[in-house]
Amino acid sequence: MSSRRRGRSARTRWGACACAMLVFGGALATSRSHAAESAQDSRKVDEDVQALKKQLLDLNRDLFRLEEEILYPASTQVAVFLSVDVGTFFALDSVTLKLDDKEVANYLYTEREVQALHRGGVQKLYLGNLKAGEHEIVAFFTGKGPHDRDYRRGATLKFEKAIGAKYVELRISDREASLQPEFVVRQWE
Amino acid sequence: MSTRLSSGWAVVLAVLTLIMGASTCLADAAARDLPPPGRIRDLDYGDVLFHFFQDDYFGALVRLEVSRDLRRIDHHSAEAELLSGGLYLSLGLHAEASKIFDRLLAGPVPGSVSDRAHFYLARIGYQRGYYADAWRSLQRIRAPLPGALESERRLLASNVLMAQGRFGEAVGALQAAPNDDWAPYARFNLGVALVRSGASAEGRSLLESVGTMPAQTDEERSLRDRANLALGFALLQERAGEPAVAALNRVRLDGPFSNRALLGLGWAESDVTRPERALVPWLELRERRLLDSAVQESFLAVPYAYAQLASNGQAAEQYRLAVKAYADEAVRIDESIASIRKGGFLDAILDATPGDETGGWFWQLQNVPDAPHTRYLYHLLASHEFQEGLKNFRDLRIMQRNLERSHESLAAFDDMVAARGQAAAERAPRKAQMLAGIDLDALARRESDAAARIADIESRRDVAALAAGADASRWAALDRVESALAALPAGPQRDALAERARLLRGTLLWQLDADYKVRLRGVQRSLRESQLALDEARRRVALVQQAGETAPRDTATFAARIGNLARRVDALGPPVDTTAAAQERVLASIAVRELETQKRRLASYAMQAQFALASLYDRAAAGGAR
Repeated sequence: MSSRRRGRSARTRWGACACAMLVFGGALATSRSHAAESAQDSRKVDEDVQALKKQLLDLNRDLFRLEEEILYPASTQVAVFLSVDVGTFFALDSVTLKLDDKEVANYLYTEREVQALHRGGVQKLYLGNLKAGEHEIVAFFTGKGPHDRDYRRGATLKFEKAIGAKYVELRISDREASLQPEFVVRQWE
Repeated sequence: MSTRLSSGWAVVLAVLTLIMGASTCLADAAARDLPPPGRIRDLDYGDVLFHFFQDDYFGALVRLEVSRDLRRIDHHSAEAELLSGGLYLSLGLHAEASKIFDRLLAGPVPGSVSDRAHFYLARIGYQRGYYADAWRSLQRIRAPLPGALESERRLLASNVLMAQGRFGEAVGALQAAPNDDWAPYARFNLGVALVRSGASAEGRSLLESVGTMPAQTDEERSLRDRANLALGFALLQERAGEPAVAALNRVRLDGPFSNRALLGLGWAESDVTRPERALVPWLELRERRLLDSAVQESFLAVPYAYAQLASNGQAAEQYRLAVKAYADEAVRIDESIASIRKGGFLDAILDATPGDETGGWFWQLQNVPDAPHTRYLYHLLASHEFQEGLKNFRDLRIMQRNLERSHESLAAFDDMVAARGQAAAERAPRKAQMLAGIDLDALARRESDAAARIADIESRRDVAALAAGADASRWAALDRVESALAALPAGPQRDALAERARLLRGTLLWQLDADYKVRLRGVQRSLRESQLALDEARRRVALVQQAGETAPRDTATFAARIGNLARRVDALGPPVDTTAAAQERVLASIAVRELETQKRRLASYAMQAQFALASLYDRAAAGGAR
């Protein structure tokens, strides 16, 4: 009795399965042809997107260059970069930059930016114009120093600006001997 | 059994999704794992890396190309070329990336650079399905790659071998690899591939090793879940219920694979004739959202288990519940289809995700609000085609915003250049008048006369000529006195005065002679300074004249460049809009197709439930008649 019921139940399930296969079979055949069509459409759109991306990239490159030439011509351009070398003794929060006693940048760093600096990236912190002659740059670095203490230090440099672009680097590094961070401003030729 | 049939599909889908997931991760990591260079020798290259390390690939590539054009990153030229190839690859521009790597390899480059170029070419080949090319590129790598790239190379090598069906070699490559962070991924991929190829025992052993590994991070726990799920279903297919139960029980209840694991666990328990234990995971599963196919299937599985336990009344009740649930869900699917067909569904989704244009947005889609157009979206993401299309659509929207910004910038530049041109035109007459008033030649003549005079003084040692201030006044007074004396009548008085004047002149001359050298050096220094000042004045006048001549030309050049860029911006706008609309249509059609498939599946489940219900009634009636 019990085995008869089980056999019948199994047959019922087989019946259901056969129906399901019919339903699925039809559905799959239909969806396969639709899928092939949409895959073709997707490929076409994908190719268009790639071509447009390349054009947009070229456009942005030319625009970026034009912008720099119009706003910061090489004769007056001054660029200030910030880099971190090791940086174990200082966790950077922000930098304030003064040029000839005038504040030109005040930058607060995100975790992502700090990581990018630690991995070897160099931030173009400020891009502006200066007349030829003598100038002074002062940078204040704020963050956490050794033993997680609040830390604020300044670094300064007097430099001569000639006709032509001037690059200045603010560098945060470790002074191993004193286990303290070191902040240096230097000119690039 | 029908459920078993769709379980089989679920395995195939799961495996496909998992494999595709792995390759998508590879694509995303395309350039990210480039090792940082040594010391930065060009600050502009550091600026490129600053953007690159924040995953701003577009910004990094723009800066790289500009800096390279302006010869600002010459010290890093080979690295920069390699990086630009990696960036193009990350942006999905495979053809451009291939061109760069080929060009790089055609020239003289250090071995480390050519090895990495071969690695990226291999990756492109793998992603595009050119496995033989990918393998050739991998074989050209001469030395271990730096950092994590070496592990990734081994993973890529085993993937390429697997894709070519060379499973034995893939196992060999894997065994030779150290047990680092990438090894579990490689073991998982290989395990899945071996199971699919029929080498089940070996595949299961690999999956078992990943499924029982200690996991510290979410990513590791997720991989462990995937391995246990794949292993569980592989065992289920071989009717090995008990080990399948063990594997599926290891999948976390709150992880992304828990639904499929619960469904499989129920089937594994049922397989070893423990329907009462199969009910536990199935009843848990049935409480979850009906969007998931595993949950849908659980509505059939629960009454099936009750029927197995001969609880026909409960089974019938549960079948009726299933029929209603499927019908309700079908209505919701219809609403979703209607909403998607109306258009704009992708924008609504993108608006609901944070505005980070660099990355991390994709997986937050699971948190989008439960609206008709978004309800099924996260499940659609299991389809690689949909994922890629959605990324493209998002890129196109970013492009549109980029073009808008470019348009605004160009308008501002145009105004600026026009204003500069006008200001220069207004200054021109004043400048011309000022320049006309400067006679540099006259100054030069005076400077030349002075030089000749000083030379004459020096040659004659004319100390009086260098007298200055009070001494010069005294010298002049003595001249006047001597003239006056000459006009006086001769006599002792005039002689006495002349003698005094002579003494005074002698004294003055003696003093002037003592100061002569100092004074001569002083005038010679002044002369040199005036020569320098004259040179500087000449240079500045030349610059002013040059600026006067070139300013209108520069202004015209800038205006022409702005005009040219503005035309390019205008020309790009319509195809970007058209492509975005086409992409939305393609995605809408994929979404609707998927939803209709789901609807058909629900209809099939509903039919099975009704069929089973009828069968139960049939049996009950037969039992009653007896």
